[in-house]
Amino acid sequence: MNCDKVRQHWELYYDSEGDAELYLQINEHLADCQACAKWFFQQAQFEDAVTAKLAAAPASSEMWARILSDTGVVRRADARAWSFFGPFFALAASVVLALGIWQFNASTQPEHLSALAAAVHEQLASGTERIEFTSVSDEAVEDYLKGRVAFPVRCPPRKDAGFEVRGGGVCSIAGDNAAYVVGQVEDRDVSIFILPEERLAQFVHERDALVKEQVHHCREGEYDMVVAKIDRNVVVVIGHGHPEQLEKVVRAYGTYPEGPAVKGARITDEPRKPLAV
Amino acid sequence: MPAAEGSSLAKPSDDRTARFLRHMEPLQAALEAYCRRSVHDQNAVGDVLQEATGKAFRDFHLYAEGTNFRAWIFRYLNLEIYAGNRAYHRQRHEALAEEPIVEEVWEQAIDEPLIERLLDNPEHVLSHCDDVLAKAIAELGPMERSVLLLRAIGQFKHREMADILGVPMGTIMSALSRARAQLRIRLAEYASENRLFGPGPLQNPK
Repeated sequence: MNCDKVRQHWELYYDSEGDAELYLQINEHLADCQACAKWFFQQAQFEDAVTAKLAAAPASSEMWARILSDTGVVRRADARAWSFFGPFFALAASVVLALGIWQFNASTQPEHLSALAAAVHEQLASGTERIEFTSVSDEAVEDYLKGRVAFPVRCPPRKDAGFEVRGGGVCSIAGDNAAYVVGQVEDRDVSIFILPEERLAQFVHERDALVKEQVHHCREGEYDMVVAKIDRNVVVVIGHGHPEQLEKVVRAYGTYPEGPAVKGARITDEPRKPLAV
Repeated sequence: MPAAEGSSLAKPSDDRTARFLRHMEPLQAALEAYCRRSVHDQNAVGDVLQEATGKAFRDFHLYAEGTNFRAWIFRYLNLEIYAGNRAYHRQRHEALAEEPIVEEVWEQAIDEPLIERLLDNPEHVLSHCDDVLAKAIAELGPMERSVLLLRAIGQFKHREMADILGVPMGTIMSALSRARAQLRIRLAEYASENRLFGPGPLQNPK
């Protein structure tokens, strides 16, 4: 693929659209062509800056209380009570938050995303925790996760990247929700954890590593792991797979050819308390 | 978002209201931001959101649990935004064509070196362009504006935007591409006119 062709497809690449083959071909070209790599970086940098400017501010709680009340979604009395007690609740919440921050600063070491992800993977792979939603359809898993987390989630890697999806769900990592996708790479259990990119600030080790390299490899206990920032996510792939295979999986996250969805999704269990570490 | 017990999971035994609220809660900020950037009459933001929420709640029995609620609710909001904007223009006695004439990107004079300068340091330019950015978005055609904002605020995929807006995927791709190009042109022009580029000290914007 030459430079013109690659640049024609930059929007598909940036939006994580198009097929996995195209994505991999562009990646190969960018690895060899410094001019195109710089050009792609500039385009992405601009679009990221515009997106950041347009990003949603916190919702106006008063307006939403009125909307939900006026539309009959919540009872009027509940909304009034909330409106009346809201400032007191907010004050109490601020005190609790301040205490929490103080305690956090006073007592915690920087957290390692790799160790936390490994703990959840261990529980999922061993069956200690049942997978929330099982499906062999990447689209079904993507749709399931999108309805359950507030941050953007992309499509799991497909078979052509060597990953066979088995399901997904929501867990808690260091106190906040993370999405997970489970599957197999050459019959070995592999988990993918997806967090909003802002969470990277919380994990100093991984944050610093990703400043120096696009894909960070590490090992946690018996598991190999790769971490990368993709689109607006931090993506962690962990399992017994070979590091190169795991990297291929992480690079294929969010890319898929358009085609008919694989059917057969099912929810295995009653909704559960999110798995937490 | 804190990982409250069961906060993000649907319980089949819950009633319709609880399920609706659980779906809505994490989306309120994005719905509001999308609405604020899309409606022409800023005083109507609350009314448009209320109308969309009311209709979605009325039809919530039609929503299939486990499918894409984000796209489902944005579809309602988008219809209300279009209706609200049409009403606003009718009130102002302005003729609003069904498909407003949008200047094609290739018809506009694209100053490539100017765009390159914009791309060199976008954050510096954008930090001085809040109003210009808002105006540039408001000046986009309805389809271009919707697609740009759905992507930026809602992080929707092309096929989801096609569902929300009821148009083919190809239309989404071309509208998004046009919107991005138009935004760059407007911002680059503004930055150039107000000397936001270059090594010299920053001038006061117009």
